[in-house]
Amino acid sequence: MTIQSVTATADAATTAPGPGPPIAEARRGFGADLWRAVARNRKAMAGVVLLLFFLVLAVFPGQLAPDDPTAEIFLPGLGPSSQHWFGTTAYGQDVLSQLIWGTRQSVVIALAVGGLATAIAVLVGVSAAYLGGVADGVLSLITDVILVIPIFPLIIVIAAYEKNAGLFTLVVVLGALGWSYGARQLRSQTLSLRTRDFLEAARVRGERKFYVIVFEILPTMTSLIVASFLGAALYAVLFAAGLQFIGLGDPNSQSWGTMLYWAENNEALGANMVLWAIMPGVCVALLGAAFALLNYAFDEISNPALRLRRLDITGTRTRPDTGTVAAPVASERILEVRGLSVAYATDDGPVVAVDRVDFDLARGEFLGIVGESGCGKSTLMYAIARLLGPPFSGEITDGQIIFRGRDMVTLAERQLRHIRWREFSVVMQSAMNALNPVLTIEAQMRDACKAHSNMSSKEILERSTEVLRLVSIDPIHLHSYPHQLSGGMRQRAMIAMALLFTPELVIMDEPTSALDVVAQRSLMVQIKELQERLGFAVIFVTHDMSLVSHFSDRLLVMYAAQVAEFGKTRQIFETPRHPYTRALLDAFPSIHGPKVHLTGIPGAPPDLARPPEGCRFAPRCPHATPRFCSAEPPLFDVEGDLVRCFLYENGTVPETAVDTVVTASEGVA
Amino acid sequence: MSEPLLRTEGLTRHFRVGKLLSRQMLHAVDDVNLTIGRGEIVALVGESGSGKSTIARLLARVYKPTKGEIYFEGRPISRIRWRKERLAYSSDVPMVFQDPYSSINPAYRVAHGIARAIRLHRRGLGGAGRRDELQRVLDAVGLVPPSAAARKFPYELSGGQRQRVGFAQALAFRPKLIIADEPVSMLDVSIRIGILNLMTELREREGVSFLYITHDVASARYIADRVLVMYAGHLVEEGPTEDLIQRPKHPYTQLLLSAVPDPRAALGISETTDVGEPPKVVDPKEGCRFRARCPYAIARCEAETPLLRELGTRRLAACHVAEADDRLDVPVAAGLEQR
Repeated sequence: MTIQSVTATADAATTAPGPGPPIAEARRGFGADLWRAVARNRKAMAGVVLLLFFLVLAVFPGQLAPDDPTAEIFLPGLGPSSQHWFGTTAYGQDVLSQLIWGTRQSVVIALAVGGLATAIAVLVGVSAAYLGGVADGVLSLITDVILVIPIFPLIIVIAAYEKNAGLFTLVVVLGALGWSYGARQLRSQTLSLRTRDFLEAARVRGERKFYVIVFEILPTMTSLIVASFLGAALYAVLFAAGLQFIGLGDPNSQSWGTMLYWAENNEALGANMVLWAIMPGVCVALLGAAFALLNYAFDEISNPALRLRRLDITGTRTRPDTGTVAAPVASERILEVRGLSVAYATDDGPVVAVDRVDFDLARGEFLGIVGESGCGKSTLMYAIARLLGPPFSGEITDGQIIFRGRDMVTLAERQLRHIRWREFSVVMQSAMNALNPVLTIEAQMRDACKAHSNMSSKEILERSTEVLRLVSIDPIHLHSYPHQLSGGMRQRAMIAMALLFTPELVIMDEPTSALDVVAQRSLMVQIKELQERLGFAVIFVTHDMSLVSHFSDRLLVMYAAQVAEFGKTRQIFETPRHPYTRALLDAFPSIHGPKVHLTGIPGAPPDLARPPEGCRFAPRCPHATPRFCSAEPPLFDVEGDLVRCFLYENGTVPETAVDTVVTASEGVA
Repeated sequence: MSEPLLRTEGLTRHFRVGKLLSRQMLHAVDDVNLTIGRGEIVALVGESGSGKSTIARLLARVYKPTKGEIYFEGRPISRIRWRKERLAYSSDVPMVFQDPYSSINPAYRVAHGIARAIRLHRRGLGGAGRRDELQRVLDAVGLVPPSAAARKFPYELSGGQRQRVGFAQALAFRPKLIIADEPVSMLDVSIRIGILNLMTELREREGVSFLYITHDVASARYIADRVLVMYAGHLVEEGPTEDLIQRPKHPYTQLLLSAVPDPRAALGISETTDVGEPPKVVDPKEGCRFRARCPYAIARCEAETPLLRELGTRRLAACHVAEADDRLDVPVAAGLEQR
């Protein structure tokens, strides 16, 4: 069976995956990386070109302008002609020359105010947040006061006081008033960084405050600082032009605002000199656009999640053969996953994160999906719940997900809404992130009910109380906010929300991984009890195989996007067949039996952009032979267990695999 | 017995909680006496909210104790006044953090934190000496080849590799005691063992002591010489690892042991599961803090706070019932078979 139903997008094709040097080796310098990113981003390219254009004008006006901008030597009020592209002013000056000479002042003001305002914003915002206490109080108060001062009237007052405000005055006034917005953003960003461990690590290391602020905090906020600079520059260009236009600048200076002022005074719009009035405005707009484009582009470059990539799924969706699926324990299937493949579009081409996965689920069954980080288990969950999409940029490239008779892959978002939450629900990994911190539990339950049903307020309250009782949380906590609950209670509240409509299937993505051992244990027991009482099926994703050992009916072990082993949980724990499963089982210490030295699994899971040829586990496998690297093993059926390993090619258990680690054997409960 | 590497006496830390002007005190750590010997790995075990991380931060001098004293090599650390002394202590007792995704500055290459540590604390080294040292510590934690590893950015590393960087940073100080605050709990189960083995190796090769903070008794058993069990700010049990795990005396230790998932154990969710949580100890009254969750609680537990008392050789426990009655002295895993 061949894969790759995915073809690369145009720009990804140039760096198509395949055997080649690892990325780290081919690493270029930071400058080259930045240039590559800019060259790829259309907004960045447009912004850079525009800004460069104005910079050249600002630096070389003498060489570029056809005439002396102040010389009143032409006929006044000429229309556009080959000699005067934009005509002449009412005083007989060349408009184009004035525009070119005026660029310098706008650019200088933009850069100077941007620099000044950003410097103050960084100093005030970061210090306030990092120092905290009284310093924060005072600095934040100043910031807020500046923020609420109506800037335009104030500047008018100052400018009127300082008659014919020159360049210097403008820069100082705009800079001194334009930093507060940036300071607020930088302060809140620093506040969120303050609890990050790398700052604590720096303090424990013995770094001084100054070093921590300048060399540990600032570099992590580059994108915000650049955004603050570009924002301030944009604001400076607009304000300076506005001030000069209403006559508060130096009327003899060369600038776009001054041009507007004179054009307005001579009623240029009414006369033949329309371009005299329009072109300075166009220039202001273009320079502003340059800064705005750069701002957007910088955001996208520094945060790749904002960039949307599309996979081109022109490959045929082949129907997989269905012969390889083990029969479920009970008779009634509620979920059948057939040949499901999911790929992510990346800069280095499509990465297949789920590769032709088949499994099914019976009513009321508990299925554990186990694997290391990056093996595709969470992607598989998102695909089944049809939650892939921005910002996850993953797409189902092949296969079927038949949930209670309907193929979920083909359902539209509108149809999905009727199924989600009512028939299946999802419990996410971190309850703190999945719950809204500013809403009470009750409000969030109400939102979930309203979105998926027409229940009345009274019914919603009754149901909310009921599900909270189910997970043994006192209904008094309906009025609590998520941060008022402990980690274990938050996870239980999440499960309560997932049970609002008594779904047929609850998908759980590592719901216990943020909890300690005791809370983890009690949550697992509770999930199992609820499941047995309410009869829903569970798909439980985890990296901790031992966790599900007592709870799941069947176990699916994933490795490098594929199913490595799939069978009854007890059977797998007693006789793990795939060398990877065995290695996973041997990877954690026990509190029972003699203390043994463990080695873990050598190496690391493969990069899914370049999976190894043949068996994907071969590079880390103690049993691998050259044969294993030549072809990809299919799933072999060994006493009801499906195992993707050539050791079981003939259905026999090889000598080396007999050293099973399990001795405990008691009946299945 | 000679002076241990580190010793605390009545170590206590309270935090003010509640609204402005509130006088309520949260007792995060109360009256903890612990010792860590040279070259010893001591595990501090307890649930979230038991005060383990507060102890780590007290020992690393992030927090100041409300009461009590920490003696390092016999000298009280509250006497530290000068920056030079502070640096000396922080290089003797560095810390490795729980979350490898937040403990390395994302804006710098891997070498940054290590190089800073060397520059701050090993002023005698020249440029070449610093580079050699950088290579040495990266090599020591298994990031090979070190020169390539040093040039990587944190986002290019896996969680396990990041945590190795954390240990390399700590090693760069030439430390005597590394405080490892749940260094494996955010990592995949399959790579935890590598980090645990690394700690044992570093102890053997570099002679470093470890305070290993964890909620997972099984991993404590794997590497620690001695285990301290903490509950709601108190040390409740202490003893040599194997002895403590085979014969836990405090009911809380038994609860912790029963929560460890063990796929090799018999199937069945037989035990009645405890759904309690460690209390937030605000302005506590007299009495055992575990009594509400304790299956053996008696009237005396309400009236009197149990103190850590010697129960057997090198074994300490703070429990009225265990003290009075040796019947508790049976393996908690009685229902599970011994191999």
